[in-house]
Amino acid sequence: MRVLAIDTALAACSVAVLDTKIDEILGAETVLMERGHAEALMPLVEAVLGGHSGLASIDRIVVSTGPGSFTGIRVGLAAVRGLTLVTKIPVIGITTLVALAAPVLAHGDGRAVGAAIDARHGRVFFQIFAPNGQGLVPARVLLAKDASRMAGEGAIRLVGSGAQLVAAASHAKHEIVSGEQVPDPVWLARLGAAAPLPDRLPRPVYLRPADAKPQTAGRVERI
Amino acid sequence: MRVLGIETTCDETAASVVERGEDGSARILSNVVLSQVKKHAAYGGVVPEIASRAHIDAIDRVVAQALTDAETDISDIDGVSAAAGPGLIGGVIVGLTTAKALAFAAGKPFLAVNHLEGHALTARLTDGVEFPYLLLLVSGGHSQLLAVEGVGKYRRLGTTIDDAIGEAFDKVAKLLGLGYPGGPQVEKAAESGDSSRFNFPRPMIGRAEPNFSLAGLKTAVRIEAEKIAPLSDRDIADLCASFQAAVIDMVLDRVRVALQMFKAQFGHPSALVVAGGVAANAALRGGLERMSEHFRVKLVAPPLDLCGDNGAMIAWAGAERLALGLTDPLDTAPRARWPLDEKSALPGARA
Repeated sequence: MRVLAIDTALAACSVAVLDTKIDEILGAETVLMERGHAEALMPLVEAVLGGHSGLASIDRIVVSTGPGSFTGIRVGLAAVRGLTLVTKIPVIGITTLVALAAPVLAHGDGRAVGAAIDARHGRVFFQIFAPNGQGLVPARVLLAKDASRMAGEGAIRLVGSGAQLVAAASHAKHEIVSGEQVPDPVWLARLGAAAPLPDRLPRPVYLRPADAKPQTAGRVERI
Repeated sequence: MRVLGIETTCDETAASVVERGEDGSARILSNVVLSQVKKHAAYGGVVPEIASRAHIDAIDRVVAQALTDAETDISDIDGVSAAAGPGLIGGVIVGLTTAKALAFAAGKPFLAVNHLEGHALTARLTDGVEFPYLLLLVSGGHSQLLAVEGVGKYRRLGTTIDDAIGEAFDKVAKLLGLGYPGGPQVEKAAESGDSSRFNFPRPMIGRAEPNFSLAGLKTAVRIEAEKIAPLSDRDIADLCASFQAAVIDMVLDRVRVALQMFKAQFGHPSALVVAGGVAANAALRGGLERMSEHFRVKLVAPPLDLCGDNGAMIAWAGAERLALGLTDPLDTAPRARWPLDEKSALPGARA
């Protein structure tokens, strides 16, 4: 199966094309950026696919669904919605937390893996995975100290931009896995290829409500 | 040629297919507009993050519906256009990225359209108006008078120095507890009101530059309302009628000045065109009608469903650009601010 993977949810714009039958990477690019995903993504897709015609051989599209930057998440999802509307290629969503944990889990040493993404103001997007890859708790956003409490007494391995925050808030000696703090699009492609096809398009995983409060202030009194 | 247009700059998720003949004739094959008004009503205005979330949830459905309604397959489309701004950046990004992906996947040209250009060219879509014409663009985000000389050729004659006109209607509605969006509510309340009960100021009248100002008028309504509170239905109707009358007096005076300015610089306009959400206000249309007769210039106002934000105007502006060979690259950036006439944009102006 030939898979196109797209990630724009965190501080990078990444695209990969993977042939899963022989696990051959046909193309992969990761450009680190805090903003500008909306400008960068489609030219990158075009480059990695080798132009418009490259889309014809794709069997599946994988996209990261968050958690991460609200705007970044939507860039990736808007792009795959556009692509699949024309091509009808099936689309799979994979969370950034799963994508970050997967390569660490693949080199298993019997310890659990915690994926932590800096969510600002001392909070992290967080999820713990058992050594067999199963998510032990649902993904959530919480204070770093609560994330460390969730990790328990035993040492785990931490990955992601929030790993340092969680480790610093913890008594246990967690290992921080070094390397990229953004999903590897090749791993995104592998995970998407292995996942069952859902019956609807992936939706954003924000883990946070939109910040807005109903307003009634400033209204003049009525009879 | 057939162009698919996508609009997501504010609180409408919209898509449309428009056909442009070689002679410039136009046909709207579909026009799907999904309003988010209910999602924002409790907040008394558009909440950007809520709008962005609603756009991404609806965009593919709206585009698919536009293609179905037009009985057009994407392979029969000659170009895909999207509003690349000005507007709420989170929403712009959704429509823009979707359109780029559609264009790339279908192997068709991509067109990044200025949302204001969409409004500006609507009169050519509906009435085939020739260049040059005078445009009064009035909406919740914009209040401008522009000389439209050609596709991509706009000269701004005047603009608001503070609030947009639609914004002022919304704020007055909020102040009086009339709900959101405020424009239609204020207009409705004004119907049974006495516009002579409150003598609100007519800002800017007599000034040589055809600019608008709404902030002082809005404050005057607040002061008057607080003075006579608690407000009865009668009071609210009278406040709305008096406010609306003041706005219309100002707009008509400003248009009069702009018409004279236009004639001096560009000759007789082929039409006076009004566009944008506030163009749906019947009292304003009536006033413009009378004035255009007096000045012997044709008034062109779009049908009500094309006054507010819609995909047809984006598709049409895209078609006009495509006909001139003006396409855009896939790295085109979304723009929160994007004046039609960049040269004369005031520092700090939103558009």
